[in-house]
Amino acid sequence: MADAVRRLDAVRSSPRRARPFPWRTVLTYGVLLLGAVVALGPFLWMLSASFMRASEIAAGRLLPEQLQINNYPEAWRLANLQQFMWNSVRITAITVGGELLFCIPAAYAFARMRFFGRSVLFGIMLSTMMIPAIATLIPNYLTVVWFSRLSESICGEACKWLDNWPSLTIPFMASAFSIFLLRQFFAQIPQELWEAARIDGAGHLRFLWSVVLPLSRAPVMTVAMFGFIGSWNALMWPLLVVQSDTWRPIAYGLQKFTQADAPNELHLQMAAAVLMIVPMLILYFFTQRQFTEGITSTGLKG
Amino acid sequence: MAAVPRQISRRRRILTENLTAYAFLFPAGLLIFLFGIFPVAFAFFVSLHRWRRFPDEYVGLANYERALGDFAYALFFYAGAAAIAAGLYLARRVLRGARPWNETAAAVLAGAANTAAILLFTRWFFTLLPVILNIPVRLRGQERVQGLFVSELFASFRFPEVMSAWFPSLAAVLAAVVVSYGAVRLARRDETIGRRLWLATGAGLLLALGALALNLTLEAIGAAAEAAQAEGAELPIWSQIVVISLGMAAVVAAYQVWTRAARRWGDRQLVVSLAAAALLLVGGYALVTEVPRLLAAADRNMMSGFSVTIMYAAGAVPFQLMIGLGLAYLLFQKIRGTTAFRMVFFLPYIMPFVATSMVFSLLFSHRQDSLANHLIGAFGIPPQKWLLEPTGIFQLIFGPQIPSWLAGPGLALVVIIIYTVWTYSGYATVVFLAGLGNISGELYEAARIDGASGWQIFRNITLPLLSPTTFFLMLVATIGTFQAFTQIWMMRTPAAARAVDNMSIYIFERITDASPNYGYGSALAFVLFFVILILTVTQNRIAGRRVFYG
Repeated sequence: MADAVRRLDAVRSSPRRARPFPWRTVLTYGVLLLGAVVALGPFLWMLSASFMRASEIAAGRLLPEQLQINNYPEAWRLANLQQFMWNSVRITAITVGGELLFCIPAAYAFARMRFFGRSVLFGIMLSTMMIPAIATLIPNYLTVVWFSRLSESICGEACKWLDNWPSLTIPFMASAFSIFLLRQFFAQIPQELWEAARIDGAGHLRFLWSVVLPLSRAPVMTVAMFGFIGSWNALMWPLLVVQSDTWRPIAYGLQKFTQADAPNELHLQMAAAVLMIVPMLILYFFTQRQFTEGITSTGLKG
Repeated sequence: MAAVPRQISRRRRILTENLTAYAFLFPAGLLIFLFGIFPVAFAFFVSLHRWRRFPDEYVGLANYERALGDFAYALFFYAGAAAIAAGLYLARRVLRGARPWNETAAAVLAGAANTAAILLFTRWFFTLLPVILNIPVRLRGQERVQGLFVSELFASFRFPEVMSAWFPSLAAVLAAVVVSYGAVRLARRDETIGRRLWLATGAGLLLALGALALNLTLEAIGAAAEAAQAEGAELPIWSQIVVISLGMAAVVAAYQVWTRAARRWGDRQLVVSLAAAALLLVGGYALVTEVPRLLAAADRNMMSGFSVTIMYAAGAVPFQLMIGLGLAYLLFQKIRGTTAFRMVFFLPYIMPFVATSMVFSLLFSHRQDSLANHLIGAFGIPPQKWLLEPTGIFQLIFGPQIPSWLAGPGLALVVIIIYTVWTYSGYATVVFLAGLGNISGELYEAARIDGASGWQIFRNITLPLLSPTTFFLMLVATIGTFQAFTQIWMMRTPAAARAVDNMSIYIFERITDASPNYGYGSALAFVLFFVILILTVTQNRIAGRRVFYG
């Protein structure tokens, strides 16, 4: 208190004094800018390195002497990126489509329907989020191998799960996290809407389709985005279930390119890495708000 | 008269609602069960068998013994004891409260019937499972005809051992349905009856699981003792378990006494703190001397993977949280461009780990001229081999006379820790920023009127009110680093593999190398799962008291 009074006196006694140098503000911006440089630095260097020669990267140059634009078409061709990108797009589309198809009704049931065992089932479902992926890796692999044999026996080679899209997509089509996220949102929709819809003769399915879904564009987008990130970045599971290039996703393809196919073509590796993050960057810049808000409102990544 | 049809229509409506809800849940529920819940039991089942490509004979805890040495017995003993304790706790909640004795008895009976049904059904399923999984073995050498697998699958259900498990399980399920329905009818005026039935079932399941774990332990200890006796040696497992139990009890008691001491003042506090310290010393001594003896026969590579896992978490999590909090605090001041900064900080977290790990492995390349070596060269430090350097960081700094147990994480792991801090700090920033936004501005104003300084406000308002966020981040970050895979897979080099291979990598290698061993891999995965579970529960307990949910 006394301190404040003294400060007040000081202000009164010298009304025209120039404002002191804003150390605090400068320091704040300084630290934040430093953080931004550290966060962005590796990306900028990756971009710069993707235009260098391999020898320049090895020499630890910051900028290329001459822009090697040819790196990009060469990486695209050598790393078979077209195939891997297309694979990842297909895998992502199937996974996200299935996820929305399965998780939206489940979330709706948990949010707005009364049925026997609701809270217990919800609790069990939430508890699966605590189970680490590595603990379920082996049994899931065995399950998928077995399903692969089964469906291969029923409808031939084309139906197998291993090294094919089902093993890459079906296990990820239902995520407890997505159901939880959607349920939190669905539960907030006012009960009056449901009552009005019911008077108009709508059932649950119709209410879900024409009232709940149009209102829930934001959480549905968030779920789709998490699905996209998850399947675009996945490495461990594809390493286990994929053997050929026909369905190898981009992360695995890039890993194979850097560690097996072209371990010394550093410049091509960087170009391929840039190409891999471009779709993600585009998505991020367009849906940035939804992205951060989706994560901060739930506090989790898929 | 009019009341009857209304009741019927109400009942029908409830039935329709239930059926619709189950139909909505079915696809997602099936997938979550198949790939999220069932695998836990399946992994445990696999871990109890010799299991290379296909299921082989039952080996009890042998895979765990191979991984953990004698510590496996202690682990299962405690797991069983904990499950039984939890089961008894649930059972007490079922019995609590004044209700007619017949309702309580019906709930207990229904719980027992449900437990029996679930157990018998599980037994049938796990009798059937190896038969089904072995179909390819049985079909080996036969011509691949379409549909052969399916007909063999149907034949599997009629195997004698499967059939003999099927009928009791069917009877038990029917009995459970009847008894549960009876219990609900009997107590239909009691609204908590559904909850109590679930509780009773859960209690029964936990008790059965605990008994199973204890039985496995006793079986394994008995076998080991017999083997030891044949060699004329003694097996002091029981005395070791007693000593460890006492040690743990002492540590827990020390924690209890200490938290109580913190609330007292003066001489009392001193005395109580001393008592806590003494207890901690005794308990810690018992644990420090006994646990390594139990672990003497453990798998060396697994132990190294485990210590890497722990060093990785201990190195990465605190820095992530501190940097995240610092940046969030600065961003929360009224500055321009908060959104832009937030977007930039968040970028490393959402970009593919595969791509960014590749950049880091070039930035921290072992070459003389790599950028990292340029950077440290500016400070006069000689060039390092970074990702190829397994030597501990403290040994590098203070010289090779540092004992190996103090060497700290290898330099290669330090690079991976730096990478992890780089990726996750932005995430922590964003979550902290949301947490800061939830603190009411009035509190700050009140504090400022009272003349609090910036640091005092931060220390006494911001930090305590932020504690739920901090706790959440701590939990998520620890669990995340415990299962890290992609970044390590991308940045590991043969030269430093031992220094960076964590449990996930080690488990993954067990199942992808030339002779995959699913039984052993599952045992390792289960141990890791167990550790994560304990960590979560402990963090919950400890932080639950310190976290202030304003």
